[in-house]
Amino acid sequence: MIFFSNSKEFWNMGMIYIMLIVSLVIALFFLASFFWATKEGQFDDDYTPSVRILFDDESNQKPNQQSNGSTEV
Amino acid sequence: MSEEKCYHCGDDIIGKPIMADNHEFCCNGCKSVYQLLNDNNLGNFYQLEQGAGIRPSESNQHKFAFLDVENIRTKIIEFEDDQFARVNLYLPSIHCSSCIYLLENSSKIEPAIASCQVNFAKREASIVFDKTKLSLAELALFLDKIGYSPNFGNRGQAEKKIDKQFMYKLGIAGFAFGSIMLWSFPEYLGIEGDNPEFRNFTAYLSFAVSLPVLFYSASEYFISAYKALRFKTLNLDVPITIGIIALYAQSSYSIIIGDGPGYMDSFAGFIFFLLIGKWFQNKTYKMLSFERDYTSYFPLAITRIKGHEEEIVEIEELKEGDSILLRNEEVLPCDATLLSDEAKIDYSFVTGESNHIIRKKGDFIYAGGKLIGQRTMLRVDKESNRSQLTRMWNEVKSDKKEHSGFLYQNTLSLYFLTGLLIVAFIASIGWLFVDPSQITRIVVSILIVACPCALALSAPFTFGNVMRMLGRKGLYLKNTGVIERINEVTDIVFDKTGTLTTGSVEKVEFLGDPMTEEEEAMIMTLANSSTHPLSRLIALTLKNKGIKGDLEISEFIEKQGKGISGTINSVQCMLGSATYCEMEAIDKNETATYVKIGKKVGRFVFSSDLRIGLPEMIKRLKDYRLHVLSGDKDSDKSLLESFFPTNANILFNQTPKDKLDYIKELKRQGKHVMMIGDGLNDAGALGSADVGIAVSEDVFRFTPSSDAIIEASKLSSLDKLVEISRFSKSVLRACLVFSLSYNVVGLSFAISGNLSPLIAAILMPISSITVVLLSTFLVFWRKNN
Repeated sequence: MIFFSNSKEFWNMGMIYIMLIVSLVIALFFLASFFWATKEGQFDDDYTPSVRILFDDESNQKPNQQSNGSTEV
Repeated sequence: MSEEKCYHCGDDIIGKPIMADNHEFCCNGCKSVYQLLNDNNLGNFYQLEQGAGIRPSESNQHKFAFLDVENIRTKIIEFEDDQFARVNLYLPSIHCSSCIYLLENSSKIEPAIASCQVNFAKREASIVFDKTKLSLAELALFLDKIGYSPNFGNRGQAEKKIDKQFMYKLGIAGFAFGSIMLWSFPEYLGIEGDNPEFRNFTAYLSFAVSLPVLFYSASEYFISAYKALRFKTLNLDVPITIGIIALYAQSSYSIIIGDGPGYMDSFAGFIFFLLIGKWFQNKTYKMLSFERDYTSYFPLAITRIKGHEEEIVEIEELKEGDSILLRNEEVLPCDATLLSDEAKIDYSFVTGESNHIIRKKGDFIYAGGKLIGQRTMLRVDKESNRSQLTRMWNEVKSDKKEHSGFLYQNTLSLYFLTGLLIVAFIASIGWLFVDPSQITRIVVSILIVACPCALALSAPFTFGNVMRMLGRKGLYLKNTGVIERINEVTDIVFDKTGTLTTGSVEKVEFLGDPMTEEEEAMIMTLANSSTHPLSRLIALTLKNKGIKGDLEISEFIEKQGKGISGTINSVQCMLGSATYCEMEAIDKNETATYVKIGKKVGRFVFSSDLRIGLPEMIKRLKDYRLHVLSGDKDSDKSLLESFFPTNANILFNQTPKDKLDYIKELKRQGKHVMMIGDGLNDAGALGSADVGIAVSEDVFRFTPSSDAIIEASKLSSLDKLVEISRFSKSVLRACLVFSLSYNVVGLSFAISGNLSPLIAAILMPISSITVVLLSTFLVFWRKNN
């Protein structure tokens, strides 16, 4: 669909096509990470993590076996 | 040390504090939780917030035995392997950061818990535990012991999925909006003609990106519009859909003929803004449950007696004629006949009344009563789903029509669409004389520019803002649609017990032989020695009088549920029921504790008390017709009549069915009814009223299903809350004027044939943003006034 008669024209216009595709890929990457974050439930609870982060500072005298709060079994 | 407040739960200490490590506690339960936490190095709990603990309830070992019934267990456990199991438990008493700290560190107390993660917004904890060391019932019992009793009523899981779907839709629309805007920059700068190849390329890219927006993100608008048309009604989604289709068709056409991306940026932006409006409107109170039905009140399983064996069975399996065993604090799930000699039943779930009712052998007991005292045998008369309470509930359910959307918008849509068609018709006739080839373009432009985006945003943002403001003031609405119904209310119906009066006993009055200060001190000393709630109330009343109850007591005897006695200053003192004190009961209908000190006798009478500030509030509600429906005897009639207006209808001895019928009758007369009540006996009335508001001392506790929940302490400002809600009307009107004036400006461009994608791209976001800002600003301005 796109033809360039010489290299000068390629550098003028061809580059912008590449950048456009790159920008689209980056945007899609962020869209995908948004989906992932939603699916993981990162937007489910916007209060608890803000409190939880304070606990580790206070109770670090003891080895904390659940520091990443994971629910893996 | 904080004075006279329990170090664990923060409640006032009545009587002698229990001491441990120089801290004061109100009861042994609080003390044992404190010691448990301290022994496990969780003392931080008390540093985070003062008096944050929850007084553990007195529980019996069998309270959660039903959780080990296989059928129930599998329903609750989310995931399990050979060793570990994961559950998501609803713990209504989670209320502060200390709770999160304690629960997330619970593995230090109970090693079988592998991890615990709290979701504060939902009051839930996701717990992974070693099932070989701890059964589900033991886990529940452990949580109950530290004050977080899990609740196993059914809670909606379906909405969670819809919520996520919505986020995806919003994400896609936002992504498309940003990308298409970026690619449309040459159009905005007027240099699109420089490179037709490139323009074509970006136009097709925009087209590709906009496809999921049309088919996924915008789908609910199409569905809603289709549904409305099928039922021959109109909603705001109809003109929106027309606008969306016009936008999309025009843009696709423009792309195919090689004339740039058309209005694709406006299209994606439009959907994005609309979805944001919807998101804002749907940000409701997740932690509150408005949809509880009777199953949340009833236990999941009960002990059935077959021959000589006890077995735990699910409620659904109970059949007529089965013998069941009820333990202390257990709720009766079906209508039944008492087989044991005597039982004390607490009907506060059902009636809001805190007094206990005594039933004798052979008496019929309605479902919903809670047993107080020792284990009792009953015979099932009606299966759970056919009990009186359940039947009424189901009746209401089918009676209640779910209002959806904003009522005013439906009439508005009608005007809007008619106006739009007239304008389009006149414009096309006008252009017939000027240039007939332009007519299609003009009509499409008119449809595009008339799309009521700003109008569609004004309601969600105004109602959303008002709802949040009411929430901050103690009135939590189920959804924004309730605001509109509040604004139409003509009649307000109050329940008495638990609503106008506080549900618990508040006023304590002494009748009988006058007592000297020394004798009062003796009574208080005796009352202090018992943990019975009525003793505590007597002690508190005397304490407020300035009496000190710290005398020596000897030969102290407590007879569970009957009374207490002891010798103080070598005088025999007795406190308890009339029979215990060897006296004649004076009035059988009152709640009273009798006193006998040497020769002197008397009694403390307990009565409920009006909520503070209530009479003043009732007087301020003069724009409404008021009604009171009380399930009680008319003992408070003169009190109510003293501050209710003369035209108010005050009725007593109302059964739940009477209340429901009363509301229905009012509605039949064309009134818009607001019902304010608590307890299950109001559930029918709350459900059938246009606006049902449940009153609750603690909004996270059980409330019957309703449209709104109000904090009991905020009931006295009900008039102000209604006022705020009504203010939303004025805000909406202002937004309406603004958004319509934008439409007029856009229409003038469209009719004159000057509408370009650029103008649309500027006009659309500006109109939406001004409406959002205007509504937010007006609501906050009202709040500060």
